[in-house]
Amino acid sequence: MGYLKYLLFRIANAILVLLIVTFIIAALFVKVAEQSNLAKMNDEMMQWDRTTGQNILRTQGQDAYEKAKAEYEEFLREKYELNLPYWQKVYNKAIRTLKLDFGTTTTPIFGTNDVAEIIKVAVPRSVLLFTTATIIVIILGIFLGVRAARHAGSVFDRGLSVFALITYSLPMWWTGMMFLLIFAYKLGWFPLSSMFDPQLTGWAHVKDVIYKLTLPVLTYVFVAFGGWAWTTRNIMIGTLQEDFIMAARAKGIPEHKIIYGHALRAAAPPIVTMIIFALLGSLGGAIISELVFNYPGMGRLYWVALQQNETNLLIGLTYFFTVLYLAGVVLADMIYGFLDPRVKVGASSKM
Amino acid sequence: MRWVDFKEGLKEFLDEFKREKTGIAGVVLLVLLILVALTAPYTTIPDLPEKWRSSAYWEDNPKNVPPTWYNMFTSQKLVPQVVYYKDDLSIAHPSNTETVIEATYNFPDGYYLGPQGIIIRNINVTVNQPANAPTYSLYLERPDGKTVPLVENKPLTGSTTIAVGRDAAISANIYVWLVNVTEGRELDPFQAQMDPIVIMNINTLISTAFAKVEPGMKAEDIINNPEPLWGDYKLVLKIDNPAPDQNKVIIDDIKVTFLGRSYGTMGTDYLGRDLWAGIIWGSRVSLTIGILVSVLSTLIGLVYGVTSAYLGGNVDEFMMRINEIFASIPSLPILILIGATVGHVTLMFIVLLLVIFGWMGIARISRSMALQIKEQTYVEAAKALGAGNGRIIFKHILPQLLPYAFAVIALSVPGAVIAEASLSFLGIGDPTAVTWGQILNAAQTQSATTKGYWWWVLPPGLGIAVVGLTFVLIGTALDKILNPRLRKL
Repeated sequence: MGYLKYLLFRIANAILVLLIVTFIIAALFVKVAEQSNLAKMNDEMMQWDRTTGQNILRTQGQDAYEKAKAEYEEFLREKYELNLPYWQKVYNKAIRTLKLDFGTTTTPIFGTNDVAEIIKVAVPRSVLLFTTATIIVIILGIFLGVRAARHAGSVFDRGLSVFALITYSLPMWWTGMMFLLIFAYKLGWFPLSSMFDPQLTGWAHVKDVIYKLTLPVLTYVFVAFGGWAWTTRNIMIGTLQEDFIMAARAKGIPEHKIIYGHALRAAAPPIVTMIIFALLGSLGGAIISELVFNYPGMGRLYWVALQQNETNLLIGLTYFFTVLYLAGVVLADMIYGFLDPRVKVGASSKM
Repeated sequence: MRWVDFKEGLKEFLDEFKREKTGIAGVVLLVLLILVALTAPYTTIPDLPEKWRSSAYWEDNPKNVPPTWYNMFTSQKLVPQVVYYKDDLSIAHPSNTETVIEATYNFPDGYYLGPQGIIIRNINVTVNQPANAPTYSLYLERPDGKTVPLVENKPLTGSTTIAVGRDAAISANIYVWLVNVTEGRELDPFQAQMDPIVIMNINTLISTAFAKVEPGMKAEDIINNPEPLWGDYKLVLKIDNPAPDQNKVIIDDIKVTFLGRSYGTMGTDYLGRDLWAGIIWGSRVSLTIGILVSVLSTLIGLVYGVTSAYLGGNVDEFMMRINEIFASIPSLPILILIGATVGHVTLMFIVLLLVIFGWMGIARISRSMALQIKEQTYVEAAKALGAGNGRIIFKHILPQLLPYAFAVIALSVPGAVIAEASLSFLGIGDPTAVTWGQILNAAQTQSATTKGYWWWVLPPGLGIAVVGLTFVLIGTALDKILNPRLRKL
């Protein structure tokens, strides 16, 4: 199977999965929306009954009142899509979502009601925070991991392993709370809330953003780089024991070149996959961490949407996350096939 | 696999495991954790989960105070909780109608503030003749000879609880006394109760009763910045019962609590709950959920992956699509959504949710491993002998993956523990259980971090970290033994 054909197959596959997942998400959220819409409709119905309804009853009599009431109810049912059967609604919602038509929210967030606009505001913020942090983590992790693998068994290697094992067991948001306590409350170096100041522009705004980002970024890096270093170390140790490394060493190639030229290149596919998912994952933000830092990104937005029962926004965000994940899968497959030629002939021919 | 082989293999494995120091450390930690979890009802408060949410149960505890041992590390020492029962009090009957109950309280030298409050509880009264109802007065005699009248001639009814430091009327009385001493003015207690300075400082006015108060000082300065007056204080409760034959006052269960500024091993939260007890009990949920979720999801993933690999062809294709669908649904948001719509969430429901969204990765890895195993000759042989699919999968392929499964189970416990804590932290958790996530959730909603209540935030997370570390240590040791490439080191 050629590379292109392999790729097309993977893309078609991802699209199929996306279709199914979209329907599942729509089915879940429509169910939730149905309940809240019914409650909203009943509220409006009562409101109408108290004002307009009583008015009609007094002036035009019972019959006219009944008729007007039925009409209004019909109007509301249509407005809240309660007249359609459940599966019809799910289908409509899923199709609209696939067309990226997410609809609007009931209350404005970030000064707009349009779900797509809201997501557009929040994404760059999460990118700013988590992508920056992820890049630092990747660079630091790979560098330290390679170093540990070269001096396997040394004090540095052991220390790194212990650090990695401990940070692996820490929830990021708890570490955030602790960092807030130490660096923001006790020492006062950083702000307690990472919400941006909307009044600032220009250089002052940049300074404000950097000041408020530092603590969340530090937290992320602190929790994540140990695990990265440890994984890199393990992959590298495996590669360093391969025959071709022995051969290169026997040929007298400088150690530095063996590590970065031969070994790291051979170890690249799994590391690249990790990088892709880490970077894509960073776009989504981390719900709880953003809550803890009170940072106005995607994660906090998701939480706000849940609290305010904004079904359209929830579907939009969930769809965004899903697309990201699937794009990551395809991208990883693509690069994997590119870096490791065996994939094209081996795994895919068996698929 | 014969029994003898199994025994042999196990022995060999145990010998190797004993050589892994990290693994041994993990096992020791695990045993300790299990002991802590099992003995929680005996070492702390029995039936804690039922009491945890009832704020009445914790009323005799100070609120938001650090642990007592913190005094060792700080220059501003904080008084601990002191409780008196009937035998610790001196009870006198100067006359037939009078009862005087005295408690001697020592405000130790060098401490920063006096108690957070005084609570007197369980004075039970049966009134048969309301016209002659018994009354009580409460005074605080200070080391400088001054006496603070806290309550004067108030009728006793039913079961009386006196809460100095929380009762607005008592705080007003303290303010009246304070102004009287410093400025010589007599305030009307009812008027004082409306005074903004009293309303603002209901809970802190008690400090002035334990502070230096001299004529000429400014009342407001003392309220804002009380200077401690160390020494022996005497709390005097006078009960006047004009008709002792009809109206009975029973003080057998009396309990006088001087609320501390520090409490117990881990301090208290905003309701006065003993955080130490909460942390200990939380280990039960954490361990149970962590182990249950990782075992179940590993087993499901293993069987799923192996089945998919073994059956191959279109079935494999179909099963892997389902796997991808589950993997691509963003799990935390969906978990939050489901939890929020279901309403009452039980622990088993959380386990179920975490398993449903947790088996995919293991299924993928075990599938790729099974793809290699299924090509081996003995599988072919079994097939040729007419063994069924189920038999080959469960008897021939799965046992090969079992050692790997143990490492995966151990390594996925931290993730499950963190996942449960995350859900509880977001307020989606079993309301009848006490979990670390819920303690942290309360800390977050009460903004404990921005107020500096470290004793409320630090321990639950450390608990999560310790559970995580335990299983990571065991898991990596297993991994090293079972993954020969890393073993060379």
